[in-house]
Amino acid sequence: MKSKWLGMVSVTALMVGAQVSGAFAAGLDDLVAAAKKEGSLTTIALPHDWCGYGAVIDAFKAKYPEITINELNPDAGSGDEIEAIKANKGNTGPQAPDVIDVGLSFGPSAKADGLIQPYKVSTWDSIPDSAKDADGYWYGDYYGVLSFLVNDDIVKTAPKSWADLKNSEYANSFALTGDPRVSNQAIQSVYAAGLANGGQPGKDAGEKGLAFFAELNKATNFVPVIGKAASVAQGTTPIVVNWDYNALAWRDGFQGNPKAQVIVPSDAVVAGVYIQAISAFAPHPNAAKLWMEYLYSDEGQLGWLKGYCHPIRFNDLASKKAVPADLLAKLPDAALYAKAVFPSLDEQAAAKEAITKNWDASVGANVK
Amino acid sequence: MKRGSRFWSWVIFGLTVAYFILPLIATFEFSLRIRREGYTFDAYAIVFADPKFQQTFLYSIVIGICTIIVGLLITVPAAYYVRLKAPQLRPIIEFVTLLPLVIPAIILVFGYIRLYNSSSILPLTNSNLGTDVLLTFAYVALALPYMYRAVDTGLRTIDVRTLTEAANILGASQVTIISRVIFPNIIVAVLSGAFLTLAIVIGEFTIASLLNRQVFGVYMQNIGANKAYTPQALAVVSFVITWGAMGMIQLLARFAPKTARTT
Amino acid sequence: MANVSATADSNTGPVSTGPVVRSGGNPFRFLGALSLGDYLAIAPFVIFALMFLLVPTLGLVVGAFVDAQGNFTLQNIAGLDDPQIMRAFTISVEISAITALLGSGIGLVIALAVIRGGLPSAMRSSLVTFSGVASNFAGLPLAFAFIATLGRLGLVTIILKTLFGFDLSRSFNVISFWGLAVTYLYFQIPLMILIIAPAIDGIKKEWNEAAATLGATNRQFWLWVGLPILWPNLLGSLSLLFANAFGAIATAYALTGSSLNIVPILLYAQIQGDVLHNPGLGAALALGMIVITAFANVIYLVVRTRAERWLR
Repeated sequence: MKSKWLGMVSVTALMVGAQVSGAFAAGLDDLVAAAKKEGSLTTIALPHDWCGYGAVIDAFKAKYPEITINELNPDAGSGDEIEAIKANKGNTGPQAPDVIDVGLSFGPSAKADGLIQPYKVSTWDSIPDSAKDADGYWYGDYYGVLSFLVNDDIVKTAPKSWADLKNSEYANSFALTGDPRVSNQAIQSVYAAGLANGGQPGKDAGEKGLAFFAELNKATNFVPVIGKAASVAQGTTPIVVNWDYNALAWRDGFQGNPKAQVIVPSDAVVAGVYIQAISAFAPHPNAAKLWMEYLYSDEGQLGWLKGYCHPIRFNDLASKKAVPADLLAKLPDAALYAKAVFPSLDEQAAAKEAITKNWDASVGANVK
Repeated sequence: MKRGSRFWSWVIFGLTVAYFILPLIATFEFSLRIRREGYTFDAYAIVFADPKFQQTFLYSIVIGICTIIVGLLITVPAAYYVRLKAPQLRPIIEFVTLLPLVIPAIILVFGYIRLYNSSSILPLTNSNLGTDVLLTFAYVALALPYMYRAVDTGLRTIDVRTLTEAANILGASQVTIISRVIFPNIIVAVLSGAFLTLAIVIGEFTIASLLNRQVFGVYMQNIGANKAYTPQALAVVSFVITWGAMGMIQLLARFAPKTARTT
Repeated sequence: MANVSATADSNTGPVSTGPVVRSGGNPFRFLGALSLGDYLAIAPFVIFALMFLLVPTLGLVVGAFVDAQGNFTLQNIAGLDDPQIMRAFTISVEISAITALLGSGIGLVIALAVIRGGLPSAMRSSLVTFSGVASNFAGLPLAFAFIATLGRLGLVTIILKTLFGFDLSRSFNVISFWGLAVTYLYFQIPLMILIIAPAIDGIKKEWNEAAATLGATNRQFWLWVGLPILWPNLLGSLSLLFANAFGAIATAYALTGSSLNIVPILLYAQIQGDVLHNPGLGAALALGMIVITAFANVIYLVVRTRAERWLR
């Protein structure tokens, strides 16, 4: 009895110590034990074909079978995830998310609103400084560039750039893959369109992007729905814009029917980083931390690589020669990434403000 | 009737048949197109082999059966007593059975989430079992009008009063009367209601998705967003189930007692 | 059997000899005649109705008038005056009204043709049976079916392109307002047929003959006899179809996704993710929906009871 008490006290002390100092989780075994005791982890907005999350989740489940994963709303956008934390503030039930995976610009605002708690994984030092919060509140997980996914069976000549999209042969064809008022993917798409139209990084590109979409809407090239793999294949939205890893994953999912290609627009290559964070009100904080440890381990990072994402520790893994050659070959061309623009936090924040506030007013694209 | 008007009647009937049959044919044809090479049933093979399909389908069936049982436990005694002892209560009960038809499902589930969340006296949404219970009751509410009507129709065709008095003479308790005398006699009507309930539960989406339950409807929506040809295969499966349930109801109608039994 | 019945009278427990209420007396007096067993039988029904029908709905109605602190407020209702919300109500009303009107009109024509158009009676029964099933087709499978029919790769689109050279997909997208309207008609028309068939049956052949002997043409019959009898039913069915379309969400969600700004989808997004950033506003939205659908349904019920008088 006494030894059990001591054991529990030491576990608690370690947990408290880990939280307070934010130091690396020295007591990884204790973390595993504590996580297993919690027995469950609630995730949100993780589609199984996004960065290969399906395989990553399955691998986590196989490694820790005592922890059941409760997956909420895979179609949620970054904004929806933040709302879910807010809405479930006092709730310890299965509707409250433990961990979130949101766009870069959503990190600082979530920290300011007190919605996330800090945690530094054991591989913290190998995450580039530009992609993490110094206090450990949020940390980049993977990145990719925006690209077009084109259904070749329906679209005879694929668009090569944002400017091409205005062509009249693409009537009733082009859609975003998210709601530009909440989805990071969609907001960045509008931003990229703005950059392609000569916008300065930041608010200007946001506004020029809105103008571009207003034009596209008037020309009836724009279909004001959220494009999905199904709608691309079934032809209701044969051209969509999304992250290259998603486009590649969807293309694979078609299994040749229809034929599709992934094209990075020539007039603007915008890269985007996503970040992980643990909810400040997480009902299962230890399971959440264990999840983070897994994601940032070599195994987790390679899991994302399989899903065509560039994991944030890519350079670290490459220098250790930990990346299998065949996976490396399947990734998009490194030359494209050389041209890629990584919008800074301030630029993203300014553009996001402009786009989310003014989408309804300036583009006014309601489903007609 | 005049020659001319009969011609137009046939035209209208023909167009109607076309409008209703065409989507069914189109769906089936679309589901066969999954491979470029030609028509195959691969979409169905993929669907049936998918563990998520089996999981969610099984879960929906189980919830459906629970719904039927709970629904019967609620409606049969009430319909019995209204018919036997208190016909004045009939308007109230019929009003209640109308409510699910008037209140949209999304309003119902919104009310449940507000009423039974973590901060209420009955925090059903806090646990998985609690949420399953809530889902079952939600489906009972959706199916209540049909279930009640089926049971009531069944009771109308048997001589409830005589059966009850005879059972009383033989010393049966109330519970025994309802379960062993009345219920077996209305089983055909009850089965009709049960099949209709099953059809409703299998196809339901709104309530389950807001309660985060992995039912067949939620699975269908997920596939519908992410895959190209398998959703249509699922739609065909769904149509077959609905048609099957309705067919069973028609079949049962033939076996229903038309007049009071005289044993 | 006689001696058994003698003992039966003394043995009968809670079975009464019939309802105890006398006309004109206190209607609740009968409650005294019911025993504990009777209450227990009705109790599950009543408790269920309270817990899972009445109280949740009333809770929403009340919640629309209460702010975050619990005080009475009209702020939530006032908050409905937001452009996005008003637009949602407008589009919802539009699609419900259009599909109700088209559904009623087309359903009426079909029902008239099949029931009174001189077709064999087998057509009528098969149509009614099919309508019974089709009116339940709403939901996700219906959306998938119409994508397979009218989508860019749909059967009808392909037939139109190959046979007539007409490219439907250049101007019409099935995931749009009008695509949704056409899809909704698939369950609105059968519902109309189901409702109006008994009413059309009620227009007796004798009336036709009586009018004919008085010299009326077919058109005059319908204008002066048929339609006046039918119009309450038509009004009722318009209301019911309107309410039916207004409350529908699954089909719209599967077809146009969460982009279509109709009230059920807005409410769905609000419940799932508090997109309006105001829980009280969600309750107000729900109240708006309840008011509209209840109003439409009440019209239908009132009309139905009145109309049944004529068609007895």
